[in-house]
Amino acid sequence: MAYSDKVIDHYNNPRNVGQLDKASTEVGTGLVGAPECGDVMRLQIRVNPETQVIEEAKFKTFGCGSAIASSSLATEWIKGKTVSDALEIKNTDIVKELSLPPVKIHCSVLAEDAIRAAIGDWKKKNGVAETADATAAAH
Amino acid sequence: MLNVLDSAVPVECWSCSIGQSTTTLFCPHCSKIQPPSGGNYFTVFSLTPHLNIDLAALETEFHRLSRKLHPDRFARATDQEKEWSLADTALLNDAYRTLKEPLRRTEYLLKLEGSEIGEEFAGKDKANPSRVPADLLEEVFELNMQLDEMRMARKVGEEDPALHASLTEAKNKFEAMVNDVDQDLRKEWTNWDQSDQTVRQSSQNKMVSLLDRRRYLSNLLRDVTETLGA
Repeated sequence: MAYSDKVIDHYNNPRNVGQLDKASTEVGTGLVGAPECGDVMRLQIRVNPETQVIEEAKFKTFGCGSAIASSSLATEWIKGKTVSDALEIKNTDIVKELSLPPVKIHCSVLAEDAIRAAIGDWKKKNGVAETADATAAAH
Repeated sequence: MLNVLDSAVPVECWSCSIGQSTTTLFCPHCSKIQPPSGGNYFTVFSLTPHLNIDLAALETEFHRLSRKLHPDRFARATDQEKEWSLADTALLNDAYRTLKEPLRRTEYLLKLEGSEIGEEFAGKDKANPSRVPADLLEEVFELNMQLDEMRMARKVGEEDPALHASLTEAKNKFEAMVNDVDQDLRKEWTNWDQSDQTVRQSSQNKMVSLLDRRRYLSNLLRDVTETLGA
């Protein structure tokens, strides 16, 4: 199966690979996995406590090219967004941007789950009341 | 591909018109070849869906049916029958390959019974995105990081004996975990085979999560073995 140019670009030059200090209260960590293929993805955000803007986002993904590209793109998109705006990102947006084929849609779902899990973790640390949606995704 | 049709509906033989309760490749009354549609991999071998399978008997039946479907036997048959014999051969081969292999057999039966597993259902279970326990994810992730580190060190020509040792240890541990999963799966096979519908449902759910767990573990083992062996 052929990957789109955008997937190949993110795969060869992944943005924002790395990690943030898990113990910091400003950092939220999401670790998610896709049991269907065994991929694991960790996405972390550092949120400005004043503005609730995601100032830094890092990821590390062990999986196929589409999973790496989806998480790379996700970190690019959430950087500079407020927490609530970041929650608006849907996996279908990622599918469209990367032209993912149907068999790789679950990679984009994984990236969306990772965003929600990271934000959920940050909210929990900071005692922010969670929306029902975010709670469900954080588990 | 899965061919899950309702096998409880009686089908009529196109030749002798006698109804049968399950679809087999040949009519039990007039022995005429039947079209491949209507059954599943188990009915191909005249079996009811179950998980503990006599592999020797399965192989014998596979060879017997393969011979019966051989093109030479259809040299004077109608074009329609010739076409069915080819399609049935393809179905028989798929069925045999799937049923003889324990994991594929288990996945197939679970799909047949309506469990949503496999890539085509990935991400559909939105309320429960991660069916694998968080501590396993954590461990899988950590080990992947170590693997990365080891590959990186190799690239610059350094070998860290401590890292090698800890990966070897992890490999043994994960191999043991895969064995545990396989044992648990076998227990569930027997549980499923011997139980009624209500117990079967919970047994199926257990098998789905065991298979999920196994996929992470075997991916990881593959990578660890590859890195250690390189």
